[in-house]
Amino acid sequence: MPTDFERLYDEHAQALFAFLLNLTHNDADTRDVLQELFVKVGRQPELLRPVRDERKYLIRLAHNLAIDLMRRRETRQKNYAQFAADTCAIFAPSAEPDELAFQNALTAALAELPVEQRAVIHLKLWEGLTFEQIAEALDIHANTAASRHRYAIDKLRERLRPIYDEIK
Amino acid sequence: MNPDDFEKRLQRQPMRNIPSEWCSEILAAAQQAEQSQHRQRNMQHGSRFTHLFSTLNHQLAALLWPSPKAWAGLAAIWIAILAINHSVGGASQQIADNLTPPSPQAMLALQQQARFSTERPNASEEPAPVVPPPRSDRRDETEAT
Repeated sequence: MPTDFERLYDEHAQALFAFLLNLTHNDADTRDVLQELFVKVGRQPELLRPVRDERKYLIRLAHNLAIDLMRRRETRQKNYAQFAADTCAIFAPSAEPDELAFQNALTAALAELPVEQRAVIHLKLWEGLTFEQIAEALDIHANTAASRHRYAIDKLRERLRPIYDEIK
Repeated sequence: MNPDDFEKRLQRQPMRNIPSEWCSEILAAAQQAEQSQHRQRNMQHGSRFTHLFSTLNHQLAALLWPSPKAWAGLAAIWIAILAINHSVGGASQQIADNLTPPSPQAMLALQQQARFSTERPNASEEPAPVVPPPRSDRRDETEAT
């Protein structure tokens, strides 16, 4: 029975795109990983059969593929995040200048976070998952997810305090 | 800075939409991968017998390769033995076919001889065992002599 790729794409591609873009901060890498993920499902359609929550499973696959990609590029990884932050927008640009400035500052602040903290903060804030669901998706302990979230929020708050107070 | 307000502010930031042109490319790649995988599985299934035969052939070659002349000689000996066995078996069958059955007179004589041997008087009785006389009798006999 052929896999219903169109349904998978319609239901999950946008969320996976945002998650991968936040992890890689790079359009080309996001596209590569997303395509690799769909090709993997095409080659092994049995992967999705026993899965209860497709979204969580696909997020886990996407996370693993993105981490693999980053490890493969470890040599250029030192300045990868900073380079990406300068070149890639992960938010839909706002028409309001203050909001756009905040978005740019947030993008840069996110790029400074470790990838694992970025993954947790994305799933908590923009996917609305609980720590238990994040733990399941990323194959970590729920307490680890909670602590990564706390560290990430503290760093973002510290980093964005000036602009946040200014445009509040 | 209220922590809840800060997080809500972050959450309100809309993520970029996925470029529309990616859809057809990614779906095409996925479907192509699925079809090629399907073809590959079918080919693997079809070539299982070929693979088995190839493995057997490989094993035999590995076994015979170290001394091919010896194996060839052994095979020739077996062929010769089988050929001799076949030819001898055919000759003995021919001899058996050529034998004539015994005449009715000879068969009658044989049957009469057999009946005669079974009807002999006391033929089946065993001779009485020889019991030696008592030792005292034998002493008398020696004294008498």
